[in-house]
Amino acid sequence: MSKYLCLQRSLAGESKPRPEPPSPAQMQQMYAEFGAWQEKFRDQLVDLGGKLGDGRLVGSAADSDGPFVEVKELVGGYMIVSAETLEGAIEVAQACPGLVRPGSGVEVIEIHTPGA
Amino acid sequence: MKALVEHFFRHEYGQLVASLSRRVGVHELERVEDAAQTALARALEHWPAAGVPDNPAAWLFSVAHNALISDLRKDTNRRRLLEREEPPPSSNDPPTLRLAGEMQDDLLRMLFVCCDDANPIEAQLALALKTLCGFSVGEIAQRLFASEASVYKRLARARERLRARGASLDALDATPSPDRRAGVRRVLYLLFTEGYLSSHAEEAIRRELCDEAIRLAQLLAAHPVGDEPETSALVALMHLHAARLSARQDDSGGLLLLAEQDRDEWDAHRIATGLQWLAKSARGDVYSRFHAEARIAAEHCLAPSFDATRWDVIAETYGQLERIAPSPLHRLNRAIAVAEWRGPAAGLALLEGVESPTWLAGSYLWDATFADLYRRTGDAERAERFRTRALAAAPNDAVRAALERRLSSA
Repeated sequence: MSKYLCLQRSLAGESKPRPEPPSPAQMQQMYAEFGAWQEKFRDQLVDLGGKLGDGRLVGSAADSDGPFVEVKELVGGYMIVSAETLEGAIEVAQACPGLVRPGSGVEVIEIHTPGA
Repeated sequence: MKALVEHFFRHEYGQLVASLSRRVGVHELERVEDAAQTALARALEHWPAAGVPDNPAAWLFSVAHNALISDLRKDTNRRRLLEREEPPPSSNDPPTLRLAGEMQDDLLRMLFVCCDDANPIEAQLALALKTLCGFSVGEIAQRLFASEASVYKRLARARERLRARGASLDALDATPSPDRRAGVRRVLYLLFTEGYLSSHAEEAIRRELCDEAIRLAQLLAAHPVGDEPETSALVALMHLHAARLSARQDDSGGLLLLAEQDRDEWDAHRIATGLQWLAKSARGDVYSRFHAEARIAAEHCLAPSFDATRWDVIAETYGQLERIAPSPLHRLNRAIAVAEWRGPAAGLALLEGVESPTWLAGSYLWDATFADLYRRTGDAERAERFRTRALAAAPNDAVRAALERRLSSA
C-alpha cells in the first residue's frame, strides 16, 4: 500500500459560479453522504486532512522576496489516503462528496515514503 | 460517524436564529441568519473528522454567537450597541448554559415575531418557513408553488418591517394580545393546509410541512401564553388530518378519495393523540372554527367505514363551522355530508342559489360536487355538463384521475 496526497485545488479555466450556499436540509444530506463515504473507505483514509488556513513562507533571506504564488490560493485543502495504485487512490478521492465540483478538482499525488 | 436526528440541521438553524435574535434584536435578522448558516457549515466541516460534540446544540450556538459578534464588531456603528450587550464569549469559555425552557421560549418569541399582522399572511408564512423551519428560499418556493422571486419579495418585505420596527423579542414579557395569538394560529393553520391540501406529488414534502406546523403549534400550546382551547383544537385537527395523510395516495402516487381509502392505513397512534388534544380543547366556553374542524376530522377518524360515518353529526358540525367562518367551501362540504345523510336532492337544495365562487382555488370541487349529486339524482344531462367542467379545471392529473373514477361510476 502506498500513501497518496490528495489536494483539492481550483481549476483554472473552469468558471467558478458562486453557488447558493447549501440549505440546512442539503447540509444534512451532505453530512450523511460524507458519513457513507467515510464508512465505505474507512481503511484507506489515513488522514482526513482539512482546509488550509493562513501561513507564512520561510526561506533564506536571499530567496524570500518572491514573488510567490500562495499555496492557499491554489489548494483549498488536503487529505491523505492509502491505496495499492494511483487509480485506487483516485477512486477514493473521486467518491468523496463535494470534493470535485465545478471550478475545483482534486490532484492525487503518490507520496514516496522512505523505506516503504 | 454519529448519525444525526432527522431534520437536525434545519431545526438547529431555527433554534439558532431564534436564540441569537433574542440577544441582538430581530432588526439584525440577516446577520443572525448568516451566523447560523456559518455555524452549520463549520459543523459540516468539523464533525465528520472530529466527531459530533457531546452537546451539538451548544457547540453550534457558541460558533454562531462568535461569528455574529465578530460580524457586528466589523460594523463600527454598532459599537455603542455592543457595549450594552454581554461580552462575547471567547472560544475558551464554556458556551452559555441555556435551559431547554429558555430555548423553547426563544422559538416561541420568534414565532410571534414572524406572525406580524402588519405583513400579508403569505409573507408571515414565508418568514416562518425561512427562520423557524430552516428552509431555503428555493425550498420554500418549491413547497408553496411560488417563484423564488416572489418568495424573495415576501421575505424582503417581512425583514424590512422588522428593521423598521426594531422589533424586540420581548413580546412575551407582556402577554400578547388575543389578536396576536389568533394571528399565530392562522399562520400555523395555513402552514398545515399548505402541506395537507397541497397537490405536491411527493408525500414526504407534504408531510414535512404538516410536521412543521404540528411542531410549532405544540410549541404554542405548551407555553402559558398560547395554551388556550383554540390552540388545543388546532393541534387536534392537525393530528387528526395528518393521521390520514398516507392513505390518501395509492402505491403509484394517485389520489384516493375518502370512500376508497384503506382505513387500516390510518395512523391509530396519531388519531389517539389528536383525540387527546380534542378532549383538552373542550374547556371554557370557546367554540372556535378549529373546534368544529377538529370535531369533523375526529368523526371521520372514528367511523368504521365510509357508509357507517355519522353524516348527521358531520353535516351539523359543518353548519356550525359555516356560522363561525362563513365560506362557500364550508357550505359545499356541508352539502356533501347532507347528501350522504339525507340523499343527493337534500344536498343539492343546500347549494341552490349559492353563487359558485370564481375565486375558489378548488373551483373544480364545486363542479365535481354538482356533477356527483346530479348524477345520483338521475339528471344525466346536468351531471355531464358539470363533469366536463370539473375535469377541465382539475389542478393536476392525480386529481383528474380520481374525479374520473368517482364521476363515471354508475
